Amino acid sequence: MTLTYAFFPGCTLESAAEELMISTKKVAAVLGIELIELDGWTCCGASHIQDIDGFLSTSINARNIALAEELGVSKLITVCNTCTLMLRTAKLKMDKNENLKEKVNVGLERTGLEYKGTVEVTHLLWALLEDYGLENLKKKVKVPLKGLKVANFYGCHILMPPDVMGFENHRNPQSMEMVAEALGAECVEFDQRLACCGFHAVFPAQKEVMTMTGINCLSPKEAGADCIVTPCPLCQMQLDAYQPDAQKGFDQDITMPIIHLPQLIGLALGISPEELAIDRHVVDAIPALQRKIQAV
Amino acid sequence: MEKITVKIKRFDGRESYYQKYEVPYEKGKTILWLLTMIREEQDPTLNFTSACRHAICGSCAVQINGNAFLACNTSLDEVLDTYKTMNLTFEPLKNFDVIKDLVIVWEPKMEKMEKVKPWIIPSEKGSNEHGFLQSEEEFHQIAAPTDCILCGVCASECNQLAVNQEGYLEPFILNRAYRYIVDSRDGSPQDHLQPVLENDLWKCLHCMQCVSQCPKSIPLTDQIAYLRSSTMQMGAVNNQGAKHAYAFHDDVKNKGRLNETMLPIKTDGLVQTALTKIPFALRMIKKGKINPLHMPKQISGIHEVRRLYEYAEEVKS
Repeated sequence: MTLTYAFFPGCTLESAAEELMISTKKVAAVLGIELIELDGWTCCGASHIQDIDGFLSTSINARNIALAEELGVSKLITVCNTCTLMLRTAKLKMDKNENLKEKVNVGLERTGLEYKGTVEVTHLLWALLEDYGLENLKKKVKVPLKGLKVANFYGCHILMPPDVMGFENHRNPQSMEMVAEALGAECVEFDQRLACCGFHAVFPAQKEVMTMTGINCLSPKEAGADCIVTPCPLCQMQLDAYQPDAQKGFDQDITMPIIHLPQLIGLALGISPEELAIDRHVVDAIPALQRKIQAV
Repeated sequence: MEKITVKIKRFDGRESYYQKYEVPYEKGKTILWLLTMIREEQDPTLNFTSACRHAICGSCAVQINGNAFLACNTSLDEVLDTYKTMNLTFEPLKNFDVIKDLVIVWEPKMEKMEKVKPWIIPSEKGSNEHGFLQSEEEFHQIAAPTDCILCGVCASECNQLAVNQEGYLEPFILNRAYRYIVDSRDGSPQDHLQPVLENDLWKCLHCMQCVSQCPKSIPLTDQIAYLRSSTMQMGAVNNQGAKHAYAFHDDVKNKGRLNETMLPIKTDGLVQTALTKIPFALRMIKKGKINPLHMPKQISGIHEVRRLYEYAEEVKS
């Protein structure tokens, strides 16, 4: 089985979260998923550009989607919650409003592109459930993650707003649990499962976001989790790279390893932590994983 | 008969505790029916507020299993299906003080709302003699924001309020400010906007909770984007939030992608970055997450992207 997607990596995969680029490509290769990276994709706007110019935000994402449409694929895939939200928001706005679509296309014509609306925007998590299938994923598992206690941290932008995202019930999603359990891991229940990481306001609301980071790490720690797993590189960066800063505001030890969803999948597929670039995290995740997964 | 186990957070003015009730399940009922059944048939001391039963008065919002709902227009079956359970935990709205059981205090919120001058400051275009007429289009500007019934659901779910009740404005207050800023009869939008800016406008986390839970589907996050745009048009561009947004805006125009290394400097300036972000930068460099020597290249098609920027400017004017 080969599934082919147009691939939108997003800016963070080229620098701070390069380990997500590495692990996504490794996992896709083992699963037989073909990812064709868009040539000339731009930043999605990261939920900021619409604060300056909403039409521009829609236009640059219309261009990104139009690049995917030119590849003749049916889906554009991302591994970032916010990229997914930004692309889907632009698409929904244009698909619902013919006038807006025409207006955007006047601009796109100057770039030699046209937004048609033929490509769906999805996230790897959804694609695994919807296109690849959990049964097929289970067949690929070489090292069941038996005994590994994971805390699934969804991140807001893969769930909300539901009229844009809508893959599952935003108040009680189960997709992460379904994938983690298919890999053999044990999912812990914890209060902050659907919490906000705060990343998008980490500059103007630094103090508040550091408090949130501390709570987001403590909650799964107290629930007995070995690590947090997230489908979003921005949540990962907030919870991992800022964790030493957040620690300063807490007396208790908040140490909690944070890994990307494709890294968790990769471990179960028998790929080593180094090949999945798990050694690039600020909070060392490898000891916790080694204690629980024998093949690691 | 199938039963629903309801745990309600009670508060008697001094102590809070959870009390358990069992209610026989009935199909096709609302959450408000469930609460009313408990009060009328099991426990007359249970306090909650409700009045209209038609999602107009906004008085019956509560937390159920971690999310805020307006009790009268929420289907019990949908809630049971959402959480795949017959066990429901009721709590008062978050980010409000509690008077008793599920009853919350509104007065401090109303005092806070006064900051944004939630009234029309009449423009000189109208007069008592000739009235303050609006076109249909002008009326539609205020149609969605005036749907707000002040139920408090958005405030209960707001992640910024959860850690910053003193400084941040409730989404329903931001909605109220927006409502007067866009009202064609208002002559002084900056008087509503300035307090919004001064009360942590840029601290909204973009978590989308308010817009996702609003029982009236008010586009609260689009409004926040509008408020931010308006403050920048007013000239308030020299703050972290605006500078951060412009860093993305300008990077896409210049190179097509974000330069993560330069983002803190563009947002906070060199001095502030040096003072506060050095430990962060060092740990990022150590793990190879930041490479200060690496400058992102221009993407293929950058000239086309710039044409989109030019076009967006034309559309604006």
